[in-house]
Amino acid sequence: MTSKTRYFVLTAFGILALGLTTGLVASLAGGLPVALTRAAGPDDLSYVPSQAVAVAYANVQEVMASELRQRLKKLEPDTADRDDFETKTGVNIERDIDSVVAAMLTGAEGADHDSRPLVVARGRFDQVRIEGLAREHGGAIEEYQGVRVVSHSGDGHTMALGFIESGAVAVGSVAAVRGAIDAKRSGRNVLSNTELMRLVGDLDSSNAWVVGRFDAMAGKAGLPSELQSKVPALSWFSAAGHLNGGITGTFKAEAKDDEAATNLRDMLRGVMAMARLQAGDKPAMRAMVDSLQLGGEGKTVAVAFSVPAEMFDALEAMKSKSERRPADIR
Amino acid sequence: MSTSDLTRPTAPSLLGAARRVFELSFGEMLWSRRTIFMALVVGGPVLLAVIFRVVESFGMPAMRVNGAPVAGASIFGVMIWMLYLRFIVPVLGVFYGTALMADEVEDKTLTYLFTRPIPRGAVLLGKYLAYLACTSLVVLPSVMLSYFLVVPFGQVASTFTSLLLDLAILGLGLAVYGAVFAYVGARLKRPLVSGLIFAFGWEQLALALPGYLRQFTVAHYLQALVPHALPSDSALSLIQGLFRQTPGATVAVSWLAVFLIGFLWLAMRTVSRREYVLEQ
Repeated sequence: MTSKTRYFVLTAFGILALGLTTGLVASLAGGLPVALTRAAGPDDLSYVPSQAVAVAYANVQEVMASELRQRLKKLEPDTADRDDFETKTGVNIERDIDSVVAAMLTGAEGADHDSRPLVVARGRFDQVRIEGLAREHGGAIEEYQGVRVVSHSGDGHTMALGFIESGAVAVGSVAAVRGAIDAKRSGRNVLSNTELMRLVGDLDSSNAWVVGRFDAMAGKAGLPSELQSKVPALSWFSAAGHLNGGITGTFKAEAKDDEAATNLRDMLRGVMAMARLQAGDKPAMRAMVDSLQLGGEGKTVAVAFSVPAEMFDALEAMKSKSERRPADIR
Repeated sequence: MSTSDLTRPTAPSLLGAARRVFELSFGEMLWSRRTIFMALVVGGPVLLAVIFRVVESFGMPAMRVNGAPVAGASIFGVMIWMLYLRFIVPVLGVFYGTALMADEVEDKTLTYLFTRPIPRGAVLLGKYLAYLACTSLVVLPSVMLSYFLVVPFGQVASTFTSLLLDLAILGLGLAVYGAVFAYVGARLKRPLVSGLIFAFGWEQLALALPGYLRQFTVAHYLQALVPHALPSDSALSLIQGLFRQTPGATVAVSWLAVFLIGFLWLAMRTVSRREYVLEQ
């Protein structure tokens, strides 16, 4: 074997060995070290504190530009509230907000920031106008870690809005907004929650998704204990959707064990069969029910669905009918 | 006992002889003109993967279907189907397999191999092993590079098993197609044309038709082992998908092993019995 051939063989084996070793390490360790991976999900997740039990994301621009949104606009009763909001704050929700990350945070039991939402919105905001509006209504403006935070108290709650960086605001309770600022600075944020980020990574291509701990949220939602005991033992859940002409999406849940997952799949099969019976001869409903796909293995249960555009045609027809009826009676 | 009996070397065994031919042929095959073609063919997917990675690094999804960006793992699956399994592996099998003996005949160097005290079948076996080593060492690293360029690092853990399967299937495909076309090359006068008709004519047609004809193709069993979904990229693919009857993994591997051993044995037998007349 010549030296040229030998080098080629060594190089080829080297590429194969390096790739196989990397893959094997990733498989056994459950993933590659964070330094080698680009964190899944939007960059604004770095503002979500690590104690978040649920995280949601929506690409507002894609959603607003979708055909579905254009159809739903026709069904809106009026836009007075939205117009009033724009007049006061200078923010047009459809035009000025690019994306939104929302999180449900937990804190010390009984504390003011216990189970409070946090919303991080990215877009174009008129800081001067918003601060002026807050002052007019008796709000306070402070600086926290170099970030301007506007707060306002009312009905026993204090809401805050922080201009966390150029083109991004955090909205929530004062503690939640401060927590967001601290999470970014300290690096102690939801990106270090490997379980949650693994689920986020699977949903990265959707324009709206939510991931969370089902057990934590069921408790905070105040479900009666009798109902909680009957709900299958689920740990994580995730739901993702892609809006274009209709909505396509998936819902996944991770049960505590294989048996719980099997029971949940059986329950969902029954629900889907009942839905098919109810759909009857309604084509749009039938199309949606037929699109339901149940899947998942092991501890995972997954349901894929598709709400076709025809469903929204039916909604539009219903709305038109209800608007015509008072005129007929007259 | 005479002195000559003590000093006469024993003829090497079939495997020993094949190993000697392998050592001779491997370097020649690797640095032949045909390898430039192979490098271009396997370099294509790697180049596509690089372009994909560059586009993704700018924050733009490289591929969208119905407005939804397609994930890297799905794109890798499509590359395995469309580029490697349906084109690269059969093409390399045809071009290299049919030329195992044909090159020696054309270069008029076959005589030197046949005058050695080794079984004639060992010549083919050694050349076949050289082909397998040569193509595997080019194709499989190309797959590995494409994988790490296209699939995000965060998804390596969950898709590594299917990568291992892909590598094994492509290696098996190279082996089986090589054996089939080695026989074609040993048996027929115009093996390259016949090989191309088989790989891109007969196999595609047999897979699209309903019935048992698909069982007389290598692709039917090979595609049964692939973990990725069959892409519907053309009318032919749609028709093939419609009539697809996937055999089980054990059945597929068994038949592929039968093809491999059977055609290799037939090729070796043909080379052993055929009388090669070199044109002057």
